[in-house]
Amino acid sequence: MAALWPFPLLISESLWACLALTLPDGYPEPHNGPPTAGFNYSHVDPSVDQPSALRVFSLDYHHVQAPFEIVLWIMLASLAKLGFHWSGRVPAIVPESCVLIMVGLLVGGVIYGVRHSAPPTLSADAFFLFLLPPIVLDAGYFLPGRLFFENLGTILWYAVLGTLWNVLGIGLSLYGVCLLAPSSLGDISLLHCLLFGSLIAAVDPVAVLSVFQEMHVNEQLHILVFGESLLNDAVTVVLYKLFESFLRLPSVTGLDVLVGGCRVVVVGLGGLFVGLFFGLVAALTSRFTFRAQVIAPLFVFLYSYLSYLTSEMLHFSGIVAIVTCAVTMKQYVEANVSERSNTSIQYFLKMWSSVSETLIFIFLGVSTIQDIHMWSWPFVCSTLLLCLVWRATGVLLLTAVVNKLRRNAVTFRDQFIIAYGGLRGAICFSLVFLIDDFPKKRLFITTTIVVILFTVFVQGMTIKPLVELLGVKRKKRALPTVSEEIHSRVLDHLLSGIEDVVGYWGQHYWKDRFEQFNKKYLRRFLIGEHHQTHSSILRVYQEVERREQQGVEETPPAVDAHSSSRPLLPEEMDSIRRILSRNLQNFNNKQMPAYSRHTLHQDLTTDEMRKPLHRHQSLTERCTYHTITYCPQRVDGEFSKSCRGRARLSRSHTVCSASPRWSERPDSLVPAALNHTQPSDPGPAEEEQDSPQRRTQIERATKKQLSFILENEKPL
Amino acid sequence: MGSSSSSLNNVPDGQQLMQETGFSAAHLLRLYERFKFLDKDNRGHLRSEDFEAVPELSENPIGDRIVGAFFLPGQETVDFSSFVRVLAHFRPTEKNRTRAGAQPDPANSRNRKLKFAFRLYDQDRDGKISRIELLQVLREMLGMQVTEEQLQSIADRAIQEADLDKDDAISFDEFRKSLEKVNIDHKMSIRFLE
Repeated sequence: MAALWPFPLLISESLWACLALTLPDGYPEPHNGPPTAGFNYSHVDPSVDQPSALRVFSLDYHHVQAPFEIVLWIMLASLAKLGFHWSGRVPAIVPESCVLIMVGLLVGGVIYGVRHSAPPTLSADAFFLFLLPPIVLDAGYFLPGRLFFENLGTILWYAVLGTLWNVLGIGLSLYGVCLLAPSSLGDISLLHCLLFGSLIAAVDPVAVLSVFQEMHVNEQLHILVFGESLLNDAVTVVLYKLFESFLRLPSVTGLDVLVGGCRVVVVGLGGLFVGLFFGLVAALTSRFTFRAQVIAPLFVFLYSYLSYLTSEMLHFSGIVAIVTCAVTMKQYVEANVSERSNTSIQYFLKMWSSVSETLIFIFLGVSTIQDIHMWSWPFVCSTLLLCLVWRATGVLLLTAVVNKLRRNAVTFRDQFIIAYGGLRGAICFSLVFLIDDFPKKRLFITTTIVVILFTVFVQGMTIKPLVELLGVKRKKRALPTVSEEIHSRVLDHLLSGIEDVVGYWGQHYWKDRFEQFNKKYLRRFLIGEHHQTHSSILRVYQEVERREQQGVEETPPAVDAHSSSRPLLPEEMDSIRRILSRNLQNFNNKQMPAYSRHTLHQDLTTDEMRKPLHRHQSLTERCTYHTITYCPQRVDGEFSKSCRGRARLSRSHTVCSASPRWSERPDSLVPAALNHTQPSDPGPAEEEQDSPQRRTQIERATKKQLSFILENEKPL
Repeated sequence: MGSSSSSLNNVPDGQQLMQETGFSAAHLLRLYERFKFLDKDNRGHLRSEDFEAVPELSENPIGDRIVGAFFLPGQETVDFSSFVRVLAHFRPTEKNRTRAGAQPDPANSRNRKLKFAFRLYDQDRDGKISRIELLQVLREMLGMQVTEEQLQSIADRAIQEADLDKDDAISFDEFRKSLEKVNIDHKMSIRFLE
């Protein structure tokens, strides 16, 4: 299996080699042209006279050139990604971003070697308008809201002040370095250094996401680094534009600097309000989509993209806008649209962000192959060093201050990871291309590329072993339990109540006020009347039930022997069916946010279910456990044998670990279901209500009935 | 506050309460002012009507349980020491355990916090959360959002997960065990009371 993974790469390489060969001439050359009559290639140049005879085959590459090339690039990216995941050992050592950049370097090298000119570079417009929004939208949509808002103060602290510290520090120090080496670097002014500092200091959300997702550090650390990388866009945008406009101005006064300071606030808040506006409009629109459910997912994407474009148009922070839009509309949209639309939204988000990210990294690699590099040892090395040093000191200082105000202190290990995890990525790269031309621009480009490659490769590859070495607290992989959720909610209410008694407007107070406002006005306005509101307890409960049915549950649940069995009414059967179908299609996994670029939660479980027999064996153990509580030991062996016999059957039969309560109920179903049972069953008479074999019969009949329902309802 | 020590004399049993609960003088004063604010008729003790006058508390799903937790069993009024003793549970836990004059089992230890939360469920004080008590709490919190059947299923599931000795009720140890992954010190602390 490991040997197969280069094949997708080889295919993509050959695709690109063909393209490279074809591009310069404008018309294709035949590779193995069969000498059949009429097999002709048309000239692309329209001024040449066409032969008058009709052609059977013709090739008109020029007609489809632009979309064809785009598709080829995307195909290359996706095949590289496939190859990466297919190889066993590579993902464990090398993060995906590194492999993709290497592939990009390879492709760039091939193109350069074939055409002897620079390969196509990543245009800043394409990056900012097409490649970046899907990634940020995906990040915003799956942002763990509660964790984010609890840590919002710290995140803003790092994002705003930390970025300012880095920018000023790096800019001024670089200017000092330029002053020290006037021979080679003398014509770089202070403003240029500050401009460079502003674009190189920003932590990149794409790179951070792609590296941190594979690490599973504790949630607080993750949200701090990730939140910072998202929100520092506002500061970066302002500072970059500020210094750029300063460069164009004849002189800079103190007033301009003050105006610049105000702009940070305006940019951030402007992005926030644009995002809020579009988020609420999207939520409202989704309320009316129940008659045309197929296009409901489209609204999510359209409105988010609109918010991004609008805020870019107004020179606000597009990233803040799109994240706010996603966070705002999420709960209302999820309540309003159907399960399938929810799935579509989530899958498309993942898909687009995945493709985007892959393309970005590949283009980073391709664009490295340039004619126009300018190298300067002091500049490049000092930039690298200064980036590391300033980030480390910034994090240390800021954390020392903010720890006094936080409940959960950020430990030194976490601080180290925050500092070390400040990866730079494609945003710096695009910004450096946008600088107005000046003599040393090439130096800046080269330095930026070196910094990006260094952070992604060196820091990206070593951060995972460091996390393990330092013993940074990892994400708790505990499965959610209903009792934990119930108790957590009770504690939340308790704390809100105590805060009310004490008269303290703390976190719980504001959260409660927001929830009240939400419930009274927003939800009523933005969610259709026929959609229930789900408490988090209900969600967790459904999640747990779904897992259990799919056999992921680790601990076999104890059976309550005293629960009364009631006859099943048709309404109850309906509600069970509804609960079951909702469970199976319910991807709202609130406990483990779906940060992973590659899978949604559902995929994980379905993949596990496809594994062969031994998995089903453990399921049958659970089946037997259930029945043990009903029947005495002597029936145990029989049942487990027949259950195991069924283990090879399709996925839907994993429902056999159904909740014991339900299996007691369907007395009305049993006569119908008994027709389906296999002849290997021990067949007792139906009238003996209390015989243990009757119970196993019911259980098996329930399984078949439920699986029958599921096969009808679930077209997966 | 320069006059803190003199104002502390106005607080009934001020010094003793400071010792017992670990509150500082400033905090105690603040709480005393709050107590007087809630005590609109100036009786020197609070009744349940005074608690219900707090507007947000009436919207809290378990508001009446919280109010009930302030009252010692059998008592109709809450005086200042009981008020403070209850609120002492919500002090953030100190990181350095050795504090001069600290009680062996301070009110804000994890165990005591959990006991307080446990008593919210266990209204009849029999040391166990029975299924009925759990159902009551669930009903208060989920209210109109779920059907009775779903409530039963959820309560079933919760008891299944937590109940280790199979007595269809959750004892304090089982309660504590089911919350072992939750950071109680974080969740049940109010910064105001540090």
